[in-house]
Amino acid sequence: MAIANLENFLQNYFIFHRCEILENEDGLLKIQLTEEMDRALMNRPFYWHYIKKIGQKGEPMQLTLITNPEKREEKGDWVHFGSPRLQQIINHLKENEKFTRLFQKVSADKNTAMYPWLVVNLKISYKGKHKKDEVISIGLQLVNGKMRLEMMDYLKELPLQTAISDYCYTISPLIRLQSGYKRIEAVISNYLENQTHGWAEESIETLHEEIQTLKHFYEGRTEEEEQMQKEIEEIKERYQPVISCEVINGGLFYLTE
Amino acid sequence: MDSIEIQKDSNFIAELESTLENDGPYSSWELFSMAYQAELTTMTPEFKGLRALEYLPHIQFLDHQIDAAEQVIETMNGRAILADEVGLGKTIEAGLILKEYMIRGLVKNALILVPASLVNQWVRELNEKFYIPAIAHRKNYNWDQNIIISSLDTAKRSPHREKILDIEYDFILIDEAHKLKNHKTKNYEFVRSLKKKYCLLLTATPVQNRLIEIFNLISILKPGHLGNYESFLENYGKGRNQIKQDAYLKQLIQKVMIRNTRKNTTLNNTKRNIETVWIDFKPEEKEVYQDLEETASTFSSFSKITFLREICSSREACYLSLKKLMDEGNGESQIQPIISKIEQLPHHAKAEKLVEIIKQFGDEKVIVFTEYRASQLYLQWYLKQHGISSVPFRGGFKRGKKDWMRQLFQNHAQVLIATEAGGEGINLQFCNHLINYDLPWNPMRLEQRIGRIHRYGQEKDVHIYNFATKGTIEEHIMTLLYEKINLFEQVIGNLDAILSELNISSMESELENIYNESTSAGEVKIKLDNLTSIIQNSIDETQGEQSYGYS
Repeated sequence: MAIANLENFLQNYFIFHRCEILENEDGLLKIQLTEEMDRALMNRPFYWHYIKKIGQKGEPMQLTLITNPEKREEKGDWVHFGSPRLQQIINHLKENEKFTRLFQKVSADKNTAMYPWLVVNLKISYKGKHKKDEVISIGLQLVNGKMRLEMMDYLKELPLQTAISDYCYTISPLIRLQSGYKRIEAVISNYLENQTHGWAEESIETLHEEIQTLKHFYEGRTEEEEQMQKEIEEIKERYQPVISCEVINGGLFYLTE
Repeated sequence: MDSIEIQKDSNFIAELESTLENDGPYSSWELFSMAYQAELTTMTPEFKGLRALEYLPHIQFLDHQIDAAEQVIETMNGRAILADEVGLGKTIEAGLILKEYMIRGLVKNALILVPASLVNQWVRELNEKFYIPAIAHRKNYNWDQNIIISSLDTAKRSPHREKILDIEYDFILIDEAHKLKNHKTKNYEFVRSLKKKYCLLLTATPVQNRLIEIFNLISILKPGHLGNYESFLENYGKGRNQIKQDAYLKQLIQKVMIRNTRKNTTLNNTKRNIETVWIDFKPEEKEVYQDLEETASTFSSFSKITFLREICSSREACYLSLKKLMDEGNGESQIQPIISKIEQLPHHAKAEKLVEIIKQFGDEKVIVFTEYRASQLYLQWYLKQHGISSVPFRGGFKRGKKDWMRQLFQNHAQVLIATEAGGEGINLQFCNHLINYDLPWNPMRLEQRIGRIHRYGQEKDVHIYNFATKGTIEEHIMTLLYEKINLFEQVIGNLDAILSELNISSMESELENIYNESTSAGEVKIKLDNLTSIIQNSIDETQGEQSYGYS
């Protein structure tokens, strides 16, 4: 589900933020920003402060994004995976799209029950000498306790909306959110425990080696105890293996089963 | 598993609950799933490899630069000495390493210490090339900014020092790290007390002159890697000869140091074309030169050499020095006649040659190096008379002015006239003609001059023209020193190591001594011959140990 087509991704981003697309041709995207998006992306707080102070409406700017490298000489921001503009948009997404509550869209003519699912998208980072990430998407049905992995791929196939469909009603969760989340954490812990962590062993080995080397360096130099402790801390900071779990986003989904 | 620390996300579920209680705000499915896609796109699924390359599609990295970055991150675990020869792109390697750590979320704050004159250049490179939001430290700034660039001299002074030492930096970079080779200095003590995770030391000067100096640098990165101070001295002494013999020591050093040379990189693609341009003095000039030579008794022999070198450069340079000597009340009777003659001299033969050559280039950019301020001013004026635009450049210029002059040169003027100190720390790859209007007596400075244009980023062959006046001291230096040891063709990255091994602290004073202590031209020749053969000999000897780091 990673971004495959940058052009579409950008276009959708602005459409879903209710911006008007003025031009979209051959890797050149021209957008009329809304006030909200101007404030989020254009970094001109003083303008907005001033314009509101004098009681004006203000004029949001237009933005031109270029995804076609052959057009990078044209006026606008050349956007690629490392460009500051894309980083800004990605950060804006990560900060603002953390929580949701959605309903599966059904066209029913009789009463239909909707079951609550807790959906959590997690990033697990393994950090020792080096670092890697893994993303896991988990859903937990809060009535019968059923768990589903790769939940986002599953949801992708369903029509989802922010309001409940006609004739539908929600079933109250039997499992509280907090305990549901604990179950998910337990599954993750279990998953981590069942892996072999060669990377961590290597890292700890290097950690011990370097501390040994360091101690040898300071042998007989008691006056430098403080410096040595500082350096030992630095070595630990650098090599101590850590696994961190960070929630990317999540929410409550009401689905037909 | 027990030894792995696990950090959980303890805020998420409470925040979700309170969002539900407040009945929003909720993300739409589309944006919710785009945030997930964005994370899948920016995560780093592998321990190894450089993700930064995908983020920097506009930079053409050279193979040795990518190798160096990978090696620093993957096998040196982020602490290393980058000791590439001048012009191979150490800054690029360092930028790539920092970028990779930032993308992986391993570096959030960094302190970059560089010579004051290079602060702006570093800021520009990191901002524009690498999209790293680095800022230069200014008065009253906090030191806990994300990525901050400053000079070592500022950072080590109170009150900055105390504030900096309080901060735990994820990444520290020190450019021109050979300034840290002595462990008794304030610089060294300061750098060692910094709190750091990853650390890069950049130096172009090969530090292997003295084993103890490399010991000191490595002790910043990895104390104990070469043993402790006492055991090291005992095993290896202070000399550098040991290094050749001791393969084990060499191996240890390679674990923390990368040294690319032009030989083992692809930068050989652009060539250096060297041409000596001989100039004949006009009869009047020759007469003044001879007068100066003959009035030797009046001057200390040091000033005699200076005057001779000056008259080879410009009337103005020599005139000013003589005038100064006279104003101080010395030898008026001998100097006055010479000064009168100088006043009558026509335009300098070399300056005329310079105009002639520049005109041949059409409108291509040219850098002219001269040793003397007076010649610099004269040439600027003289070129203007011939419709050639030029800008001056001096080491003494403030940072902002240097940047400005560089820009003027790039966009408006055809010629940049630089004096010696201008040679360091400014990149002029957009230019590929360099004229040594007069030759420095220190070959290292010559390499620095050439390094300004023959470096990473140069796309064309580089043309270097060396001016020398026949029948003068310049001819000696040219034929007996430079041409003999082939200094122009071969990169003399390790020359300073050789000189220091030969106990020659300054090439310049070595040459002056030869002139002062010799009574005849024949004696000078013999002595210069001796000197060059010793140097040549050492160069041959050290060829074998050239490639230090990996290759």
